[in-house]
Amino acid sequence: MSELINLSLTDQILGLADKSFSSKEITEAYLNEIKKKESLNCFISVFEEESEEKALMADENIAKNKARPLEGIPIAHKDIFCIKDKKTTCGSKMLSNFISPYSSEVFSKLDTAGAITLGKTNMDEFAMGSSNETSFYGNVLNPINEKLSPGGSSGGSAAAVRANLCSFATATDTGGSIRQPASFCGVTGIKPTYGRVSRWGMIAFASSLDQAGIIAKNAKDAAIALKYMSGFDQKDSTSLNEEVKDLQKEVDTDQEHVIGIPKEVIEKIKNDQVRDSFRNAISILEKDGAKIQEINLPNIEYSLPAYYVIAPAECSANLARYDGIRFGHRSESVSSLEDLYVNSRTEGFGREVKNRIFIGTFCLSAGYYDAFYNKALKIRNLIKSDFDEAFKKVSSIAMPTCSNSSFELGSINDPVEMYEQDIYTIPANLAGLPALSIPSGTVDEMPIGLQLIGNYLEEGRILNLANKFQKLTNFHEFK
Amino acid sequence: MKITEQDLKNISLLSKIKIDEETSDSLIKDLESILTMVNKMDELDTSKINPLTHPIENTQTLREDIEKKDIEREKLQELSKEKDSGFYLTPKVIE
Repeated sequence: MSELINLSLTDQILGLADKSFSSKEITEAYLNEIKKKESLNCFISVFEEESEEKALMADENIAKNKARPLEGIPIAHKDIFCIKDKKTTCGSKMLSNFISPYSSEVFSKLDTAGAITLGKTNMDEFAMGSSNETSFYGNVLNPINEKLSPGGSSGGSAAAVRANLCSFATATDTGGSIRQPASFCGVTGIKPTYGRVSRWGMIAFASSLDQAGIIAKNAKDAAIALKYMSGFDQKDSTSLNEEVKDLQKEVDTDQEHVIGIPKEVIEKIKNDQVRDSFRNAISILEKDGAKIQEINLPNIEYSLPAYYVIAPAECSANLARYDGIRFGHRSESVSSLEDLYVNSRTEGFGREVKNRIFIGTFCLSAGYYDAFYNKALKIRNLIKSDFDEAFKKVSSIAMPTCSNSSFELGSINDPVEMYEQDIYTIPANLAGLPALSIPSGTVDEMPIGLQLIGNYLEEGRILNLANKFQKLTNFHEFK
Repeated sequence: MKITEQDLKNISLLSKIKIDEETSDSLIKDLESILTMVNKMDELDTSKINPLTHPIENTQTLREDIEKKDIEREKLQELSKEKDSGFYLTPKVIE
């Protein structure tokens, strides 16, 4: 039954509906594959028995013609999403004993749609990292070449999709954590508009940037999964009370596209292979009828510095809740309340998380607030305005997802060099725009992605363009 | 940008995270390298620009004022190692 795990979500839904195979068969096939590929370290928890029970229930629902839209489809959740009565670690020692008392809206929506949760995927600690090396549970290996990084922070989700360990996986993206690992693992990843998917029960890193999304085999699958994950949620005060479009339908309609190419980005691509592959991808879309237009994003080079003030500032405030008292790691060696705070936090957080808390604390401290935090917020405004201006002329913006393909695990030790991994993905987070990455070629024999950024709530449009590209190419195909 | 030993002490105090002497040199190096990258922001004149705290203009949506019991107190308190009669326990703060 191993061929079942190679099928796309679209084909799995069709196959289950016409009873070519059962949910029990797909679920068992995935569970076997997870065991076989345990050394990739994609999962922090696997729910074997529960998945098998749910698969039997799904098969009953299908037999009674009561199937829900994702009935019996085995998926994985990034271990940042709370699931009631399940361990939710966020890749950290701090939460290694945390059993969630409630479920995230992302889990609840997909569970209600009938999906089966096989387990929870590995990730950089508190989603801070671009290589998966900051996880308390050890790094994930890239399934294409195990010496290389799967990217981060959603590396477990991207690697799990690429290694055929689930039909699709949920993920989160604060500065590129869906798109960069999707690029490194040769899969499709989408971060929707800020507020499109509820953040309720998703462990916070930088609240004005964090957004949940999907990593899937292709754009069509991502559209289906995202459709059932999106929507207004009263429990999240930043959730958008806007109609959820039928992405499944929109991904396949005949749409005209005007693609903006940001001059400032393309001129500065250092890697010739990345530039050539990008040009090749654009020419494929142009030959298919898309209009190509040069645009300007004059302040885009300031995205990285602004992000590395805003994200750490928000992180230092969000992670102040880990005090050792109510939940999370509590130090044993304590003689005062101050000791309890300091020792619990010092023992519970890893180096990268501490670095970001330190930077955020410094930038928000007396005398530095205006020079750093306020300055960064003003630059954020400039970057958003640049995008607003560009979207008056074009329907989407294209650029590479990353400036390189995957790198060797352990090879990047300088924090700034690691942060530069997200140089092309951060702008969409600062502006809150939807953006996706699709495989568009190879660099040094490893996949790289084409990034498509859309206007607010236009996930359907970029997914449509991505689907068009995937009909014309086979970069996204794998066994 | 230079980070001094005093800066490091302040950051440690404010963030309630200990910085041991063995790692302080490499930490200073990391923080200085990050802040040097961040200082690129100074190239831009932003004197006439308003700060943007949030990407989406969205007004707060309010729900009906009805009591909800989504979260069970006992279940939440099970997560704490030290509790008694519905209270969380900490080391003594008043002698």
